[in-house]
Amino acid sequence: MVQGEESSWRMERAALPLNQALAYGVQAHVAATAPPSCFLDFQPAAAAAAYFGFGELEEALIHGGAGAANAGGVDPGVIIKNDVAQAKSAAAAGYLAGAGRPPTLEIFPSWPTRHQQQLHSGNSQSVGSTTDSSSAQNTTMSQMELVSPASSAPRQEVMMVTTDDYSYKPGLAAAPAAAAPPSFQQHHPLPLQLHGDGGGDHDKRKHGSTRKDGRLVDAKTERRLAQNREAARKSRLRKKAYVQQLETSRIRLQQVEHELQRARSQGLFVGGCSAAGDMNSGAAMFDMEYARWLDDDSKRLAELRAGLQAQLLDGNLGLIVEECMQHYDELFQLKAALARSDVFHLLTGAWATPAERCFFWMGGFRPSELLKILMPQLDPLTEQQLLGICNLQQSSEQAEEALAQGLHQLHQSLADTVAAGTLNDGAAAPNYMNIMAVALDKLASLENFYQQADNLRQQTLHQMRRILTTRQAARCFLSIGEYYSRLRALSNLWASRPRDNFVGTESLSPTATELQALHHHQQNQFTGF
Amino acid sequence: MQYGAAAAEQAWYMPVVAPSSAVETAAERMERLASESAVVVFSVSTCCMCHAVKRLFCGMGVHPTVHELDLDPRGRELERALACLLGASGASAAGAPVVPIVFIGGRLVGAMDRVMAAHINGSLVPLLKEAGALWL
Repeated sequence: MVQGEESSWRMERAALPLNQALAYGVQAHVAATAPPSCFLDFQPAAAAAAYFGFGELEEALIHGGAGAANAGGVDPGVIIKNDVAQAKSAAAAGYLAGAGRPPTLEIFPSWPTRHQQQLHSGNSQSVGSTTDSSSAQNTTMSQMELVSPASSAPRQEVMMVTTDDYSYKPGLAAAPAAAAPPSFQQHHPLPLQLHGDGGGDHDKRKHGSTRKDGRLVDAKTERRLAQNREAARKSRLRKKAYVQQLETSRIRLQQVEHELQRARSQGLFVGGCSAAGDMNSGAAMFDMEYARWLDDDSKRLAELRAGLQAQLLDGNLGLIVEECMQHYDELFQLKAALARSDVFHLLTGAWATPAERCFFWMGGFRPSELLKILMPQLDPLTEQQLLGICNLQQSSEQAEEALAQGLHQLHQSLADTVAAGTLNDGAAAPNYMNIMAVALDKLASLENFYQQADNLRQQTLHQMRRILTTRQAARCFLSIGEYYSRLRALSNLWASRPRDNFVGTESLSPTATELQALHHHQQNQFTGF
Repeated sequence: MQYGAAAAEQAWYMPVVAPSSAVETAAERMERLASESAVVVFSVSTCCMCHAVKRLFCGMGVHPTVHELDLDPRGRELERALACLLGASGASAAGAPVVPIVFIGGRLVGAMDRVMAAHINGSLVPLLKEAGALWL
């Protein structure tokens, strides 16, 4: 076993012989299986240390060993031994390696009491980064710690490592050993004794520092551990400061964005070119909210699907359908806000994917088209429902027509306004500012049209909900959602399709098959689209 | 002063008009005008949304009576009266145009959004039939 450990310890980077010696010493004490309880102290400490670093891990380990010894009179050596047995197969051999500490551990004459308390509370002793060279080793150690979950073996390894590190492990081992059953001594003949001086107490004095928990730690170790603690503390403070800074910046950013939007909605068109960024804040906010809406939408679709498959009662399904309806209402509210702040973003459809945009009518879907798509999905329908839907389709067509005509007239009048007077004079035209003012007024009514269009969509959806039964309404919303997600997927596929270089695209390739023959990786030529 | 307005709406009347119309308030006038026809639309000639409403009714085969407030000498008052009416019955955004406003059968239907909502939920056609504006 020892050899095994040795080989594993060979992976250690530093203080190899020492470690080996320590290992021997440790093993000496191993006699029986250590109760897992002693590792309890280690677990949180070790995990915390893994998180935060090492200085306190070291301490924890040190304390752990002592604690274990104090707690049950179990020699950490014992644990270590068990550990050793298991460690061979465990990947934590490197852990041991990592634990190899330079023989400078014995530094300070006394540990402050809090260490012992920390140990026994076993809670995270958050430690920042270690400053000394063993940090790399520590990393390994912590990684190992993280890798080996809550089995006692790792704990044992931890302990093993720790004790291994102590150069005067004999002293360490000896101290607990003093409390340990004499069997240890039996098992372990000598290396320990060779190293150590026999009883623990003498060792303490001999090597200098005596910690309150009875462990012997020499001055250098102590100093190093204290430095690690300091570094950990500083690192914690830095982290806290950074997080606070992030939070305040985030809040400030939100405030600034709100102010921008407010300013924009109050019609700050002055310096429009320079305020290009400001102009987009309404659009940017909408884009963000829309992205969130889409995420929610997919969740709702999943709920609907699940509800339909599970054959929920109408009451429960009705709740889900209601939520869907409210979700759409939210979207219309968002669009209304966008119309108020940046109607051009709404009408160009930049917030939607290309395939959706292809079917756009006044900033969104065309209600009568959507109804045409939905009708076959909703079979079977009663006579009355069929009649209702046909009427709905007809009235929405009429409303669409009316709005479209109104918008057309608006376009005409806007074009006439902008083209008023002589265009040849450019900006020096006599009534340029008048023209601009009138045109601005006309643009303001654009918002009204897009809001009416959204209103039409919303009313259409509500009317559908009224006409259909709960199950049909669920299928209806599901169909709508699925249709648009297919369009979005189509857009993605289109955007990521393999393209040829476009040099020769003017010359239309005769057939798709010919192209495929030439470039088998290419699918279609859409040049004539 | 009254003759011009009177002439605009009652062109078939003799120029000797009843003096009672002189003291008619804008609100009363509005009510009177609204009840005169089955479908009455108050509009502004340059407003495109009013154009949309007119096209909507024409598309349904209804011929509304349209009062262009900008062509009416007392249009301003009427507009204010209409704004009060709208403000009382529903929310009207500050700065949003008051017109178009639709009355059917003497009763207020509302602005474009109400008209469209009524049309979509199927209540507009029965209303029109009831008022006698539609016979199909």
